[in-house]
Amino acid sequence: MSARALSLGAHIRSPRRPTMVVAAAAALLMIIAVVSLSTGQMPLPLSQVLRAAVGVPSEGADFIVGQLRAPRVYTAALVGALLAMSGALLQSVARNPLASPDLLGITSGAAAAAVTGIAVLGTSSSLALAPFAVAGALLTAGLIMALGWRGGIQPLRMVIAGIGVGFVATSITTFLLTRLPERAAGQAYLWTVGTTNVRVWNHVVIGVVALAVISLSAAWLQRRMRVIEMGDDLAGALGVRVPVVRFAAVGIAAISAGIATALAGPIGFVALVAPAIARRLVGSGAIALGASAVVGALLTVVSDLIAREMLAPMQLPIGLVTAAIGAPYLLILLTRLRGSL
Amino acid sequence: MSTPRLTAAQLDLAYGKARVVHDLSLTVMPGAFTAIIGPNGCGKSTLLRALARLHRPQGGEVTLDGRSLQSLPTKEVARELGLLPQSPTAPAGITVRDLVARGRTPHLGPFTPWSAADADAVARALHATGLKGLADRPVDALSGGQRQRAWIALALAQETEILLLDEPTTFLDIGHQYEVLDLLHGLADEGRTVVAVLHDLAQAARYADQVVLMSAGLVLASGSPGQVLTAQRVSAAFGLPVTVVPDPVTGTPLIVPSRAPAARTVHAVDVRPDVDHTEATLASTDSHERTP
Repeated sequence: MSARALSLGAHIRSPRRPTMVVAAAAALLMIIAVVSLSTGQMPLPLSQVLRAAVGVPSEGADFIVGQLRAPRVYTAALVGALLAMSGALLQSVARNPLASPDLLGITSGAAAAAVTGIAVLGTSSSLALAPFAVAGALLTAGLIMALGWRGGIQPLRMVIAGIGVGFVATSITTFLLTRLPERAAGQAYLWTVGTTNVRVWNHVVIGVVALAVISLSAAWLQRRMRVIEMGDDLAGALGVRVPVVRFAAVGIAAISAGIATALAGPIGFVALVAPAIARRLVGSGAIALGASAVVGALLTVVSDLIAREMLAPMQLPIGLVTAAIGAPYLLILLTRLRGSL
Repeated sequence: MSTPRLTAAQLDLAYGKARVVHDLSLTVMPGAFTAIIGPNGCGKSTLLRALARLHRPQGGEVTLDGRSLQSLPTKEVARELGLLPQSPTAPAGITVRDLVARGRTPHLGPFTPWSAADADAVARALHATGLKGLADRPVDALSGGQRQRAWIALALAQETEILLLDEPTTFLDIGHQYEVLDLLHGLADEGRTVVAVLHDLAQAARYADQVVLMSAGLVLASGSPGQVLTAQRVSAAFGLPVTVVPDPVTGTPLIVPSRAPAARTVHAVDVRPDVDHTEATLASTDSHERTP
């Protein structure tokens, strides 16, 4: 049975308390966020950074921290959490560590739809583009589920369908970008690799609202998803309506990835890697939404800091950094799965 | 004996166009241990899935307390009736306690906090399966028999009066098989209705109160082991000539295949299917000592 060979976190040995793991990771996230807020060309005292970071007026740091650094750091964290939850949901549904919105082409679909939105509306505000990105994500998810369906969700078929659909979506994005006037070229990075450069408070507000809604709805599914992970029949016997929960999970995962894409473009690999790290930290192959979200935020905040500072004053797109972190993991994963593919 | 709760009437079960079970009617004996036996592919597992509402019948219906199973909400069914499928997957790293706790799912909403009643149910299930000392061990680290008991404990934590199990003894060594059978028999003794698909006919005969013999999607016979397990019926169902002798331990029917390499056959048996060998003497079992 291939599901056994592919079972999530098969290497895991020692279970830990999830709350402790989440608390520790959250503490680390806070520390790294503060480091990130304090890092830059303009050195600032920590007290000023901290005050500006929470919106208290603090003279010199108001603009640099309050307007430049804080929105991008917070957006990075929110996007990381959204992507990670999307990945955790999809990996649980597919019972396959390869299932993530980036490998499945969902973020590329969201980006293509967002660029279509730019072409149609002539605006690039994240709020206006979010519905486009979400619609694109849902459409792509529906498409790969239909293509990957054979008497039930076939994870590998889904991944292969996703790779194909993702390429199509990326070509659409590239094509549209060449047709768009002026500033479009500058935005090409955003819609092909993902970036957290130049984020504003609007991004943070959208991200906070989305994260709240998505965390709640995902948590609402989590108990039942943990039962579905043990097999459809057992879940059915335990009173879970398996197809309903599965479709809801894929839907929420797509919306989450769509909003993340509207905020920062199709950042790759975070959704793939974060749930895997979370499973390892918690010590269980079961879906761990909280831990995944915090780990995802950690990954993006660190990647954002690297993207910003490694070649400063030149700024890299965050997607390049996450790819550098995530691609080796994907290779390791593929080697490990080689026998079962 | 209390009134039957779970019954199937004129059940037709199919996968797509392939019909697996045809016009099957069955009344599950309440508060007793029922064993479903029959050759591979005869529809045993499908029947069990239909009894648990996991397979929608093409025709006929399964009723629980007189109400059609399909008309009842999934969650309500899950509070009355539990099913342990053939090969459930334990999430990596999960502890025995956490696994068993998932049996509480039908009693919990998405955000219902874990209550003392839930903890009690899990503790009782762990106790009943003798897993108390292993509760905090990862399931991966258990032996096959312990793991199977952990899954049964999950079904027990569900606290359903009816418990269906699909081949609960498969892949276990003989010691662990009897461990599981004793456990199931004990549950039936406490008044639960236990239905299990079993492969070993002697075990079914020893432990079951009701034996349901299936073949090619039909119930050939249903009743006490002595009534159902005749040489003629078993031969017909499995396509193998057999002789039936009394089990030396329990006196229940013990099925002995009549086929063996000619050189090793020391005791000629009449294998005509119309002859019932239930009367055979126990002496024949001793005469099978082999010379090296």
